[in-house]
This record gives sequence, structure tokens and C-alpha cells, in this order.
Amino acid sequence: MTETTSHSQRSGTGKPRRRRKFSALTALIWIAGIIVYLFLISPILVIILSAFSPTEYPTFPPSSFSVRWFTAVFQNSDWWEALRVSLILLAIVTPLTVLLGTAAAYGLGRLKFRGREAIQSLMLSPLMIPQVVLGIALLYEFTSLGIINSLTGLVIGHMVVAFPYVVRVVSVSVIGLDPKLESASMSLGAGRWSTFRRVTLPLIKPGMIAGTVFSIVESFGEVSVSLFVSSPGNITIPVRIFSYIDQTFDPSVNAISVMFIAFAVIALIIIDKTVGLTKVM
Amino acid sequence: MLLLSRRKGCRVVARNTVVRRTLSFYWLMLSPALLFLLAFLVVPFIMLIVLSFREVDSLLNVLPSYSLKNYTEIFTSASYLTTIRSTLGVAALTTVIVIIAAYPAAYLLVRTGSKGLRTFFYILLISPLLTSVVIRTFAWIVIMAQNGLLNEALLKLHLIDKPLSLLWSMKAVVIAYVQVMLPFAVLPIATSMGEIQPKLRQASMSLGAGRIRTFFKVTFPLTLPGLLSGAAIVFSLAAGSYITPLLVGGRLQPLLPLSIYQQAVQVFNMPFAAALSMTLLVLVAIVVGLISWISKRWEARLHD
Repeated sequence: MTETTSHSQRSGTGKPRRRRKFSALTALIWIAGIIVYLFLISPILVIILSAFSPTEYPTFPPSSFSVRWFTAVFQNSDWWEALRVSLILLAIVTPLTVLLGTAAAYGLGRLKFRGREAIQSLMLSPLMIPQVVLGIALLYEFTSLGIINSLTGLVIGHMVVAFPYVVRVVSVSVIGLDPKLESASMSLGAGRWSTFRRVTLPLIKPGMIAGTVFSIVESFGEVSVSLFVSSPGNITIPVRIFSYIDQTFDPSVNAISVMFIAFAVIALIIIDKTVGLTKVM
Repeated sequence: MLLLSRRKGCRVVARNTVVRRTLSFYWLMLSPALLFLLAFLVVPFIMLIVLSFREVDSLLNVLPSYSLKNYTEIFTSASYLTTIRSTLGVAALTTVIVIIAAYPAAYLLVRTGSKGLRTFFYILLISPLLTSVVIRTFAWIVIMAQNGLLNEALLKLHLIDKPLSLLWSMKAVVIAYVQVMLPFAVLPIATSMGEIQPKLRQASMSLGAGRIRTFFKVTFPLTLPGLLSGAAIVFSLAAGSYITPLLVGGRLQPLLPLSIYQQAVQVFNMPFAAALSMTLLVLVAIVVGLISWISKRWEARLHD
């Protein structure tokens, strides 16, 4: 009895003191947090600022507005060629990776066996393996197979990189799918495949859409592995950007980057509408 | 409950065949991916391990003999030992800075009352994952160059007299890394922070602990699993990336990924590049293994 009273007393006296501390410390944490978020977004703001800047290096505050770097991009045939390669790759890599990743996420999500965790780690491992090691391993394998410098090599490289992203987001949908719905369909006489097509697929569609978006984003921006396995005839946009930054400083890279950012914003919206932003990590 | 189990009992026989058919269906779904990963992830790594024990002649042709020569060269040369040390050092420094910066960011994400603001924070956190590394790195060049944005702003504000040389240094590499990798730490820390029951913190504070003490005694221990899983990802990415250091740090920085890139693409000594890759991979695996071991021990302690 005495304990409870002393407890309530203490919390009673503690309350105003806590509130006073709350404001000072909380303000400090909020300021720190906002600085971190500003730091996080600063490169993107800088890119947008410099893409519309008339000078080679952007100034702050911006002096005037110009679209000369966009014009420069459209007049440069190198960028068009790179865009062509990037789009061809997307058209091949995306459906293959989404099919492979969806099937894998579904199969793995439903199976329970020893070693399941090991297989899951293997599937997600391209996210953690040092990119330079992945690049050199594929370079060596493709050289031995004789598919180095070919589009096939680039396709495989991109698939390896994009695959774990698809698996991860589709898994979110698979976990949320009640297996009873499938057994209901099968007990009503539908076969395994038609159940998958008519019940499972529509229900994991949001995950697949988000997976498609991730696959496109990863493949379209991929540079670490591409740099090892691409040839002068198969240069994607990010690899072209890399060589422009590495060799000549070309401000039209700014304009290209803004297009990439616009692309990322669209991707964000689609992810938010399908699996939700909070569930992708 | 009783109804449920009885219903289950009735169906057991009919179900057995369905279960078996279903199981093979799941394996059928899984196997193409397994074959793909076997062919293009497992096999190339085994090939790389084998290659790392090969030697080359003076014309850099790979000889058929096996030896430990590449590894002895790496671990006896002062310059490679320095490279290994600075690779681990840069990755560790990046991880520590990222973790410290991640806490206030995660706090804002968890505690903000407004849904719109939370979505906005999420957008800020996920957008770096959706922009190509070359673009983010390019932005840092624009910011940190001699006549870049930061120097210009500092000169205009008369905070400095002459431009700082930020680019082409390890500092630049760490700054760019921190920005790229923050989301990988903020998101898991925010997840475990969100799972803490407010009661726990209230209890700690009502027992007289201040907010700072409550953080170290309650919040920090409970977010440690999130912190460690973020740290593992950040460390392995920071130790293994080569695009960012190449572009903002320059080719001469003593970092293992840069050495590997040079050996493979410029020197064409593939066995040596393979041995360097294995060294990097084993070092990263040791650190990540250590982190997840600590994490497992800690979680076991929490649940006791």
C-alpha cells in the first residue's frame, strides 16, 4: 500500500520535471534528426539545382534558370545509344527477374525444411557481397564461358543484382497471404496450377508490381557489375555516366541525373501504392 | 478450438495427397531460382577461389600450377597490409558515424505524430536506394569540388579564405558513404525502436532515471539488435564498394576494392585480383559473423 502511494507520488512529482526536460532535449534531438534528413536529401537537391544552372558548376543561390544541359543531352548521340542499350536490357531483365524472384519467394515462403534459412541467405546474398567481388567473379566466369562482352552477360549480371530485391518485396506479399484461401480453392476442385493462377497470383500482385519496380530501378541504375561485364558496344546509361565523370567532367550528366531522380519518384509512388513504403526494408 | 481440431481430423486423409502434391509444387517454383543462383553465384565464386591459388607468368598468362604465392604476397607486403587496415578503418568509421546519425533520424521517424511527416521521412530514407550510385556520387563531386557548392557557400559567408580541398580524400569517401548507407541503419533501428512499449520508458523515468539514463538503460539495449543488423549491412557495403571511392576518393586511395578493380581491369592479373577478393570477402565475413554472433547472444539475454 505504501509502495503504491510512494510510487504514484513520485510519478506525480516527476511529471512536471520530465516535461521541462522533454522540451529542451527533444528540441535538440529534432534538430539533429532534421540535419540528418537534410544531409540525406542534399545530393538530390544539388543535382536538381545544377541541372537548371547555366554555369558548369552550380552557384548558390542560383543566378538564373537554363535548360542548356537538357538540350546538350538530347543532341548527344552517345546518350541515345546508351538509352537504347539500357532499355533493351530492361525489357529482357525485368520479366525474367520478376518471374524467377516471384516463384522463388512463393516457394520458399511456403516450404518449411532444414536449411531454409541458408537458402534464404543465399538468395539475398547479392545485397551483401562486395560488389567488386561479384563483378570480378562474373567477369571471370563469363570469360571462361565466352559470353563476356555480350548482351547475355549483362543480362545475367543485372538479374543477379536485381533478384534479391524482387524476392524481398514479393516475400512481404507471400507472408500476408493466407494458405487457407489456396486450400479452399483446391478442395473445390481447382488444380494446383489454376489455383496459383487464379488465387495466388492476384493476391500477391502488389508484391509483384513493387518487385517489378525494384527490378527496373536496380537494373536501370546498375553500374558496379556492368562496368566489369560490359563492352564498348554495350554501354548502359550509368556506365556512360561513370566514364563521363571519371574521364571528362561533363555537366550534361546533371540533366541525365534529374531524369533518373524523376524516375525514382515515380518508382516511390508505385511502391507506396502497392506494398507500402514502410515494408520494403 | 475443439471445432477446429475436429475439422482438421476429418480432412487428414484427403489432405495427405494434396500436401504431397503441393510440396512438390513449391519445390518446382523454387528450383529455377536455385539453379540460376547455383550457375551464376555459387559456381563463379568457386571458380574465383580456385583462381586465387593460381600463378601468372611474366606475360600475365595463368599457369596451371597452384600455390599460396598470391596470399603470401598480400600478407607480407607492407602496402597491402596498409590497404587492408585502411579498408577496415574506413568501413568501421563509416559504420560508427552512420549509427550515431541514425538514432535521431529513427527517433523522428518513430515519434512523429503526423502521418504525412512520417511518409515524408520514409521518402527521404528510401529515395537514396532508388537513385543510382553514380548519380549520388556525382552530386558529392558537385558539392565538394574546389569550385563546388560547399566551398562557394563558405567563401561567400567569409568562413574560409581559400577553398578547402575536400575531394580526392578519404574524408570525401566517408562523407559520401555515410549518405548512401544511412537508410540501412535508420530503418532497422526505427523498427526496433517502434517495438519498445512506452510503458518501459515511463517506468524507468518514474523510477527517477532521467531521459538520457533511460536511453542508455532502456532504449539503447532494446534497439541493439536493430543497430547490429544495420551495422552489418553498412560495414559490408562500405568495405566492398568501389564506385564511390573511385570517383570521389581517386584511384590512389589505399582501399581493397580499388586494388581489386585495378588488378582486374588495368593490370589484368586475374589470379591476384581473385586472391585480393577472397581476402576482402573473408575479412567482411569475419566482421559480419562477429556482429551477428553478438546480436544472437544479446537477443538470447534479452529473452531470458
